Amino acid sequence: MTTSWLGRLPRSARVGLLAAILAVVPPILTRLVPDLFAGLEANVVGTGTYLAAAALALNMLMGYAGQISLGHFALLGVGAFTTGILTSPTRLALPFILAVPAAALVGAAVALVIGLPALRLRGLYLAIATIGFSYAMEQSIFRIKGLTGGSGGIDVPRPIAGSFTFLKTADYLAIMLVLLVGLWALDVNLTRSRLGRAFQAIRADEAVASSFGIDVARYKLLAFVLSGAVAGVAGAMYGGLVGTVSASSFGYQFSLLLVVLVVVGGLGSRVGVVVAAYVFAVMPRLFVGVFGEGIRGWDLIIGAALLMVAVRNHPGGVAEALRERKDKRAAKRRKASGDPDDSQVAPSLPQMPRPPSRAVDTPLAAGVPVLRVSGMTVRFGGLLAVNEADLVVPRGQIVGLIGPNGAGKTTMFNAISGLVRPTEGRIELLGRDVTGDAGHRRAASGMGRTFQNIGLAKDLSVTENLLLAQHSVADYSGWEALTALRRAPRVERELRERAREAVAALGFERYADTPVRQLSHGQQRIVELGAVLVTAPELVMLDEPSAGMSPGAAENLAVRLRDIRDQLGRTVLLIEHNIPLVLDVCDSLTVLSAGRVIASGGVDEVARQAEVVSAYLGEAVPA
Amino acid sequence: MSFFESLTSGQNLVLGLVYGGIYGLLAVGIVLVYRGSRVLNFAQGEVGTVGLFVAYFLITEKGLPWWVGALGAVGTAVAIGLLFERFIVRPMVSATRLAVAVATVGLLLFLLAVEFRFAGESPRSVRGPIAGDGTSIAGVVVSPTQMLSLAVTLGVGFGLSVLLRRTDFGLGVLAAADDPTAVRLVGVRLSRVSAFTWGAGAAVSALAVLLIEPTIGVFTPGFASELFVKGLAAALVGGLTSLTGAFAGGLIVGLVEIQVGSLTLTSGVPGVPTLAIFALILGVLLLRPSGLFGRGVAAA
Repeated sequence: MTTSWLGRLPRSARVGLLAAILAVVPPILTRLVPDLFAGLEANVVGTGTYLAAAALALNMLMGYAGQISLGHFALLGVGAFTTGILTSPTRLALPFILAVPAAALVGAAVALVIGLPALRLRGLYLAIATIGFSYAMEQSIFRIKGLTGGSGGIDVPRPIAGSFTFLKTADYLAIMLVLLVGLWALDVNLTRSRLGRAFQAIRADEAVASSFGIDVARYKLLAFVLSGAVAGVAGAMYGGLVGTVSASSFGYQFSLLLVVLVVVGGLGSRVGVVVAAYVFAVMPRLFVGVFGEGIRGWDLIIGAALLMVAVRNHPGGVAEALRERKDKRAAKRRKASGDPDDSQVAPSLPQMPRPPSRAVDTPLAAGVPVLRVSGMTVRFGGLLAVNEADLVVPRGQIVGLIGPNGAGKTTMFNAISGLVRPTEGRIELLGRDVTGDAGHRRAASGMGRTFQNIGLAKDLSVTENLLLAQHSVADYSGWEALTALRRAPRVERELRERAREAVAALGFERYADTPVRQLSHGQQRIVELGAVLVTAPELVMLDEPSAGMSPGAAENLAVRLRDIRDQLGRTVLLIEHNIPLVLDVCDSLTVLSAGRVIASGGVDEVARQAEVVSAYLGEAVPA
Repeated sequence: MSFFESLTSGQNLVLGLVYGGIYGLLAVGIVLVYRGSRVLNFAQGEVGTVGLFVAYFLITEKGLPWWVGALGAVGTAVAIGLLFERFIVRPMVSATRLAVAVATVGLLLFLLAVEFRFAGESPRSVRGPIAGDGTSIAGVVVSPTQMLSLAVTLGVGFGLSVLLRRTDFGLGVLAAADDPTAVRLVGVRLSRVSAFTWGAGAAVSALAVLLIEPTIGVFTPGFASELFVKGLAAALVGGLTSLTGAFAGGLIVGLVEIQVGSLTLTSGVPGVPTLAIFALILGVLLLRPSGLFGRGVAAA
């Protein structure tokens, strides 16, 4: 494949080039063809541009991180008023270029405050809280005379740089387009970094995100902050475009409109939401252009009717409609080429060495197990799910946790991995008390786990999941992530290389870019194991790994589990219903029944105890 | 006005109850639709405003009796609710609820566009159902419309709760959101339940808007947008799933709004009542996420 000279440039240079081109096009065009950008047309493009920036902001929050906000236009208002207060000649009269970062900062700060309730609220409740916020801002804060100029509003003068002024709309458009390119680049960097992946993991499943070492609360707030900063910039763009901003421009209906743009464009689709914003801005003009002035008034009616029908027919928005069509074609092609059934493929789990940041064996004093659970009790209301259970997992062993359905095995797993807070008891990981640690901290200190219903972000591809799984070893800061500078590109390259190796080790090259959702249950299981092993955690906790696998694959699993123990020196805690597999691979067993440990010790010893046999194994023990 | 004077002012109390009852009615519509389709209907208030325009046409322009106008208003709203349910909501059974909510925003924009196209921005008014200066009760002047408004609010609330609790169909409506299969098993058709919630929601909205208009004075397109937010607050305070809670929530929001408004009339900060309502929403969400009267759970 040949790459053009453009492709060979570093990405930052390409972004700069694009920004430069966009910056000079409107001013030049307007001087060459004076009528083209005169008055309204430039305004229409300007409206599309600030709406596109606002849609990018809301898409970060709703599309990536899955947090709803029905009050985002109020954040635009915050940015616009900040710009007005800083630049207005009757106020501080500072240059516009200073106002933009200030608008971002204030937008981020206010968004942080809205984000705090989001830690406790979800879905509809968060929606109503944010609509209430937006309404209160518009009716009250934005109307305080001393702050925002009251009902008359506040002037936002367009910038003047020396002898060059941006007073003409077409010239101001250049600034808006440069800002939009900058926000776009930021968005691209975000989605290609650990930040964006963490957001998407939270949207997919918070428990899974936490199992990959993601601090869910922190990243939720970060999503609000980033989104608020972008909305603030969009507000600054808006302020300069309209010249005077006042409260009534930021009613909650505009926030609803923004949600419409993001959903119609397609949640999580950068291209989709930007296109939706421009189409919305241009459409009324287009109607009048095509059907003449008589259409005025009808354009909005037709537009709204089209919106309802479009959402009914394509609830996932434009982006999903396009994706579905592509998937259908791909499926047809697969069918035509006679695709073999992969659920029979035996898993060959990746033999990943420890990642560089976790290269050294954690030294453990003699006799200290990798995991020690003592006196754990988990109570849900009146139900005693786990009752004073003890569990010891020595280094280099495969320990089986078995018991009948409802015995409390998975509850115990959840308590160990930090999803459930035990009522009583103590959990020590690698000799350190982690009872008070949140789940993501335990994951980051070397505890990996799988889930019965597959611990993956199912809308993401196999490769993306393997990148996501490496969150806790991706060692670069948020700033580096957003600017794609310094450590970020190098670390990302390493993570990608490692993900590629893991995909190859699983034998899943063909599915590297396939969304996990489209794989069979058995295949998902294998990818999940790969995701847990890719960071080489000290303790590997597997919740029924053989479920959904074909018998052949399950047999192969035994070999792979031994490899994990013998060749990589890892320690395994295993919940499993496949008794022959358990008896085959485990070094010791702990048996739970009705929340109590009824037996523990070596495999042969435990399997012979009469109580265990009656509680769980049935009549005879397979030899 | 001092704090104590304001709290005990009969005028404030009556106004709070009148507005509160209206918010309660809107909240009942929101809760009905939410129970039936698990979705927030953003066009809830504006459906009522379209009805109000119809009432204006019949009463003010054609000079027909008030009740004919009211019938026209409620009938128009119900028709819009039913059509929207049949042609947009029902085909979207398997779509995400967010997508359905976006469709209701589409309906809101559609209704606003229709109002602007055919009525324009000039302010209008519809007279109240009963003429007269009002009666003085314990030193408080209450207009006949306000009295009727309170009576209708209570009547609708009572009637709905009897219908929902005492009939098989009503129980089906109440159970639909929790267990659709069980509802089908007892012989209630889910499509009827869904149609009922959208139709009834639109009807109470039209009534609410019609009854509050004489107290507010004039209306323009988008008349219900502020009422809707307060109805939303009321529904939330009541727990989003409880009809009684929605009424109680409406009264609480109405009283808080009027009291805070009268206490802060002279303050330098405008719109303090909206801040108070926002604080009320946040307080309820964070301290009692299931609302003061509901059983739903917001967190987790």
